[in-house]
Amino acid sequence: MSDALEAGASTFVDQFPAESKVVRAALWSSFLSLALGAVFGIIQSLHRTDVLRVFESADYYTILTAHGVLMVVSFTIFFLVGLFTWAVVRSLDRPVENIRYTWTWYGLMVTGSLMAVIAILGGFVDSTSLSADVLFTFYAPLQAHPLFYGGLAIFLIGTWLAGADWFRSWWAWKQDNPDERIPLQTFMVLVTMLMWYIASIGITIAVVGFLLPWSLGLIDQVNPLLTRTLFWFWGHPVVYFWLMPAYLLWYTVLPKIAGGRLFSDPLARVVFVLFLLLSTPVGIHHQYLDPGIADGFKFIAMTNTMFLLLPSLLTAFTVVASVEHGARQRGGTGLFGWLRALPWRDPAFTGMMLAGLMFAAGGFSGMINAGLNINYLVHNTLWVPGHFHLTVGTAVALTFMAATYWLWPQLTNRRLYSRPIGLAQVVLWFVGMALMSNAMHVAGLLGVPRRTAEPQYEGFAFEPMFGSIAELDIQLAVGGTILFVSTLLFVVNIALSSGTPRVSGLSSSLPPALSGPNDAPQVLDNIKLWFGIAFVLVILAYTLPLASIVSRGGLLGPGGDAFPMIAAPIKSTLTPILSVSVEWLGGLVA
Amino acid sequence: MAEEQPIREIGHDEFDPNGTLALILVYFAILTVMWIFMYFVEFLGNDLTVIG
Amino acid sequence: MDIHNYEKLWLVLAMVMIVGFISTTTYGATALGIEMISDDEETIDPNALDEDPRFSEPRVEQVGENEYEAYVVARQFVFEPDPITVPANSTVTFYITSADVIHGFEVVGTNANTMVIPGEVATLTVEPNEPGEYGILCNEYCGGGHHVMEGKLVVEPEAEFDRGEADE
Repeated sequence: MSDALEAGASTFVDQFPAESKVVRAALWSSFLSLALGAVFGIIQSLHRTDVLRVFESADYYTILTAHGVLMVVSFTIFFLVGLFTWAVVRSLDRPVENIRYTWTWYGLMVTGSLMAVIAILGGFVDSTSLSADVLFTFYAPLQAHPLFYGGLAIFLIGTWLAGADWFRSWWAWKQDNPDERIPLQTFMVLVTMLMWYIASIGITIAVVGFLLPWSLGLIDQVNPLLTRTLFWFWGHPVVYFWLMPAYLLWYTVLPKIAGGRLFSDPLARVVFVLFLLLSTPVGIHHQYLDPGIADGFKFIAMTNTMFLLLPSLLTAFTVVASVEHGARQRGGTGLFGWLRALPWRDPAFTGMMLAGLMFAAGGFSGMINAGLNINYLVHNTLWVPGHFHLTVGTAVALTFMAATYWLWPQLTNRRLYSRPIGLAQVVLWFVGMALMSNAMHVAGLLGVPRRTAEPQYEGFAFEPMFGSIAELDIQLAVGGTILFVSTLLFVVNIALSSGTPRVSGLSSSLPPALSGPNDAPQVLDNIKLWFGIAFVLVILAYTLPLASIVSRGGLLGPGGDAFPMIAAPIKSTLTPILSVSVEWLGGLVA
Repeated sequence: MAEEQPIREIGHDEFDPNGTLALILVYFAILTVMWIFMYFVEFLGNDLTVIG
Repeated sequence: MDIHNYEKLWLVLAMVMIVGFISTTTYGATALGIEMISDDEETIDPNALDEDPRFSEPRVEQVGENEYEAYVVARQFVFEPDPITVPANSTVTFYITSADVIHGFEVVGTNANTMVIPGEVATLTVEPNEPGEYGILCNEYCGGGHHVMEGKLVVEPEAEFDRGEADE
């Protein structure tokens, strides 16, 4: 940690203007993705509940693909690269090694995401064959336009280059500081990226080795189970790619905002190392009900997944203890009374606390998801989106928004436009999500499916024990609407903050941990060792299942065709919108 | 936003997170009860469990 | 490394809880005999289902005294056969495959749920006891008509089922 940065009144943007520019750019890419994704989100929540259907149901899947990719690829990962750049530069107290290199990887990410999003949105228009109605998971033999797969590949490469950027900074800093422990934030960034490199292996093989050439017509068929398994090789660790930046904020920033200090730096390192080791060898828990994968492999995935609960459970303790420390330093007393002594008027604080609280609820549905045979009860029902809207949708998203309220002034030297609106925004998010996610969990237990435009069927009805499906639908629709309003409040507040006057004195230093890095065993900083072990664990978890899939069905599968997801005719998309608009206009005139 | 100074400093050796322990024990109890309910009532109480 | 005693306690409790989850699941898998969808069947060519004696004619067949097999094909956007009719108080093993893309097979309101992957045959055995009707839906996105993909599982009283078979 740097004295020059912390002690004086200079902010991050004062010290590192060039880096601040790219951090702001990455954050803006993130927020724009969030905003567009939110538009699609509210459309979905009104459509599937039959409250308001503006599009044809076939287009729901274009919308759902866009919502998924924008939210969990663009929004989250652009935020990560902005946050990590800030964290590395700040904690090492040095500018990036080559700012043009930094802009290059950012540019690749923008290019890749634009390619993918254009391919997806092409699904609304019939005049081209551009479309990708394949959802975030793009399971073969559903086939997207090559622009979609190409875009994802380029985006991914951008993130790899970003990681290399931060490693370079660390190596350079190490030359000048050979005997020092890795500063905690940089440690977290490096360990997260090592996990990402391992995780990327699966999806890279799937996309570059199979799906992209297949979509270009270079190969005739693919093995759906193989590509699906390679997807989930990456598909579980990606959730930790979303979570670990949130954990970085909870461990290093939240204690400060609470008025205290991080309870334990060494334990924070242990938690991140555990994620590096365990995030990837668990992917098969997304495939508990897949034919073609032996139950022995599923059992191993289950035990690995259950142990993966541990770093999150440890985090709960360490983070809450750090906040309690802040509360007691602020004068709080009593077994629970200290909670009152916290800065609840601060949207950054309250947002992160609400995010953490919701994450605790997400832990409950997550432990069920991990439970091998109990998965029969919830697989592919609405329970699953109920779960991940608590985790990525709140623990991650709300923490990112809350952190922005704290970080943005230090990147711009301007105050937030409105703290009260910020506070209202985070509370609305929590309320909206509580309504929507609760309805999703309950509906899922009744068997209501996920990923479905019209979960209303002819031959049977869902049978709730208490209440009615209509009540659950309304809850979901209302919750989704509140979330949309909350998103608007966030984006507009940040945008309007560009108009507040430039001031000084906005810096916010981060205090040292109560138990600092020198209390951590040296071996924790041996990231080469942890990377090696992580790699071995992944080989152990995946070699046999993948070999079995290939030997049973062949590298390119036992047969079957591609199913290109071509757009619906333009007329069927625009007609309902046009007729509603004409009616409304007519009503104005009459 | 103005930085608030703490009323008092609490060092490493003087701090016992009693409140955290209490909260986390409550969470532990909730998770245990919910797991038992979900597994034995919701799951096992349902029709057509796969036995082969 | 200095770990506070409370956090050590929590570490122990967390591990106990994790072991408890693993044990419960294992209990279900062993003592209660709950089986997971597995890789028991050979792979199959989704474009050649009519060459397979099971899937060329999706149907329910008796294979033992109270034992039945249901051969089901999922395709955009139906399940074949529809309805799937089985007798009460029997043991039914479903063999389910896809003629085109990945589908899901979910008997609504029950634990009978599986992915249906082209090239693979999903097998699951259940014991329908009470007569009744269940809806079946596809719970994996399979194209523009995914939301209309539904079927029915009819569990008939034994006498009625036997009469129905005699009529065939």
